[in-house]
Amino acid sequence: MRQILVIAAGLAVVLAASACSTPAPPRSDAPPVTPTGPATLPAPTGDRPVGTTVLYLTDTSRPDPWNLDIDARELKVTLWYPTEQRDGQRALYMTPKESELLLKGSGIASAPYDTLSKTRTNAVQDAAPAGRKLPLVVLSPGFTKPMSTLTSLAEDLASRGYVVAGIDHTYESYATTLSDGRVAECLACDSDTDPGFGTGTVQGRVADVSFVLDQLPSKWDGSRVIDRSRIAMAGQSIGGAAAPAAMVKDPRIRAGIDMDGTTYARIPKTGFSKPFLFMGTEQHLPGGRDNSWDRDWKLLTGWKRWLVLTGAEHQSFTDSPLMADALAVKPLPATLPAARGAELTRTYVAAFLDQHLKSQRQSLLEKPSSRYPEVKFCPETCGRS
Amino acid sequence: MTVNTTAAAVLALFLAAACTAPTPPRTQASTVGATACAHPQGPLGTETATTIDVIEQAYFCILGNYYSGPTLDPRTLLTAGFLALTQELDRDGRDVPDATMPALTGDRKADWAAFATAYRKITDQVPDLRDKLAVATLEAIVAALSDNHARWTHDDARPLDYYDGDGYGLGLQANVSSSQTDGSSPRVALAPLFVTTVLGGAARAAGLHPGDVIEAVNGSAPFVDGKVTPAIAALYPTYPEARPVELRLLRQTTGRRWTVTLKPGLYQRDLAALQVVRSKLLNDDVAYVRMTGFAPDSANRVLKAITRLRTGRTLAGVMLDLRGNGGGSPVEVARLVSAFVHGKVTAYQCTVDGRCAKSSTDDTVELLNLPLVVLVDHGCASACEHFSSAVKDLRIGRLVGTRTAGVISGPAQSYLLANNTVLSFPARHHLGPDREVIDRIGVPPDHYVPLTPQDAAAGRDPALAEALTLLHK
Repeated sequence: MRQILVIAAGLAVVLAASACSTPAPPRSDAPPVTPTGPATLPAPTGDRPVGTTVLYLTDTSRPDPWNLDIDARELKVTLWYPTEQRDGQRALYMTPKESELLLKGSGIASAPYDTLSKTRTNAVQDAAPAGRKLPLVVLSPGFTKPMSTLTSLAEDLASRGYVVAGIDHTYESYATTLSDGRVAECLACDSDTDPGFGTGTVQGRVADVSFVLDQLPSKWDGSRVIDRSRIAMAGQSIGGAAAPAAMVKDPRIRAGIDMDGTTYARIPKTGFSKPFLFMGTEQHLPGGRDNSWDRDWKLLTGWKRWLVLTGAEHQSFTDSPLMADALAVKPLPATLPAARGAELTRTYVAAFLDQHLKSQRQSLLEKPSSRYPEVKFCPETCGRS
Repeated sequence: MTVNTTAAAVLALFLAAACTAPTPPRTQASTVGATACAHPQGPLGTETATTIDVIEQAYFCILGNYYSGPTLDPRTLLTAGFLALTQELDRDGRDVPDATMPALTGDRKADWAAFATAYRKITDQVPDLRDKLAVATLEAIVAALSDNHARWTHDDARPLDYYDGDGYGLGLQANVSSSQTDGSSPRVALAPLFVTTVLGGAARAAGLHPGDVIEAVNGSAPFVDGKVTPAIAALYPTYPEARPVELRLLRQTTGRRWTVTLKPGLYQRDLAALQVVRSKLLNDDVAYVRMTGFAPDSANRVLKAITRLRTGRTLAGVMLDLRGNGGGSPVEVARLVSAFVHGKVTAYQCTVDGRCAKSSTDDTVELLNLPLVVLVDHGCASACEHFSSAVKDLRIGRLVGTRTAGVISGPAQSYLLANNTVLSFPARHHLGPDREVIDRIGVPPDHYVPLTPQDAAAGRDPALAEALTLLHK
């Protein structure tokens, strides 16, 4: 759990493993690697330039679930969106302090602690949003991970004409800089082995998402470009688990994507018909140790897909593998190359959203593709390897 | 549900111990099979069938790494395994004429070869029973260690409609725990049998209350001549056991007698109640902290909670409620003890030839300098008993309640077997700060305060009341 680049696993398994004091990733027999210098995020594939800005929202209707001394829930929301402004200051990936806390929390000491803050991004800081009636995608990161770890996906979606609202779930990440400059650390990490932890955390994230959807129109000037009738949610790991949970609770969310997250929310026994995409590693093949997707699959009655990416690891859906060289961390053997993981993630997430929010039928989602042979369609045609 | 709770707690303990305990002393272990098994790394793969090769791996893993491995007579393991094999054949009405025990000499390798030859010959005649026989054999080999921290975790399927936090069973907890019924805890069970907690599920739906006396389980008396009977085990079914359980109940407050049939199943539990560490202020001057396991970071959570409750007031003391605490990491125990005393040994972990490693306080932990009372009961097991014995022997607080479980042979370490199942057992055995055996004996309370059905029915907690009185003396 405290690894950024390592460990392919569903959350349940990772939680169990976190009982350990972070075993070193299996790279002892590798030759020593030196950091290559800061990473550059892959260029967005859409045709629009991308802008980004940060919004701080405070929900005074509920106490913080983790910090008992704070009687409100403070959230940092990062927005990515199409803009017409091609030039300007590129956004900071994360602050040097956030980089340090994330690397220390993840047990990575093979590169200077501020390394991640030097990552080159593609979005212009505080550029004016452009467009109208754009669909909105809420993004939720994995446990202990700042929202920044999904930047590659967020920038790509924005370049394709989506507004992306990424939520840092305060105290569930190693580092979140709040509006007054305080850096919230991972208080939730103290209790991550408690029974019911996943269920409780997801419930909290659902409340975070609904609050952000409530507030966005009035708290962000740029929200006029959003078509509020077209909202989806995607996330990685426990952020992915939050997607079906939020959809069940909040009718504004029309479609959802879970990237390799063990799920926790109760889908009504009568079934749930909104479009849903499970996209995971081989840990999430049907009939595996974590049976949460098998359980939910039966209850999803609408459009649904269950994709398993051969060679993917838990972080393949995030920016983390893209940082491996900069951090001098050797990737796990026999895993997808970082760039390929990012490409597959961007491609299939966008295809799903294009189909369900833009009503553009995607042949990619109908059957396996020779261009993307890593992607298996489950449960019918993806036997355990 | 206790069965599941206990199992989960014990599993957590194994996981924690697997990571925090030092590498097993392989060099002084037997040269045979010292590398038969390794600690699990990362997520477990999909479980496959148990085969004779897996049993072989487990056999050499035990001999190479178990506490008494260096001196263990391999015949005790193989005889137990063979007996279970023949019993399983009988159970299926398929006894095999030449299923006789091969002659063994005490030589580990040669005895294994003889055993394996006989085993293959027998199981080849009943190929459809092969998996079942292998499981029965390996379970018996592990059981032959008679060690409450030796366990083979396999076939741990969970119901498909399980959600994180759910319980499985009848939805009740009684004053006699499942570990008292299956023999893993030697604590004496006292009549009458009564409900202590209604957790949910069938028990809640049937309207059971704490204090309800259970006069019969599936028509059998829970006690005969004051001794506990196996009937009580039916109170704690584990998945996939789903046979309904009939209880005859007496509610003493009204004199009502009635019978209910409870069907085991999944039930939702209160998420807040599942938190391993919970705290509140009692009487405006006592920091009460309930801790259900020594999970990773739990000692820090307890200390943070006390600091928070202490802010802006003078505390009379700390009340640590460890009733039902199933154990966990010895590192967390040492940290928590260290908030009350420095420079002491909290326990010894000893090899079979009496060489002991010390667990010491972590003197970087700031002392609280507060009086301490600890609530204990027969559910306080393993790391919880490490803590309780340290509190008692080092005189840093008083224990209130009933004697602890006596389930603390030594910190277990986990080993991965070839079919993706996990074998766990200790490499060292545990002794208290005075080098006394805690295992099976348990830790006696300084103030004996048992719970009666009348207390449970009235919602009274006499142990807590006694602890409060002690802190205010």
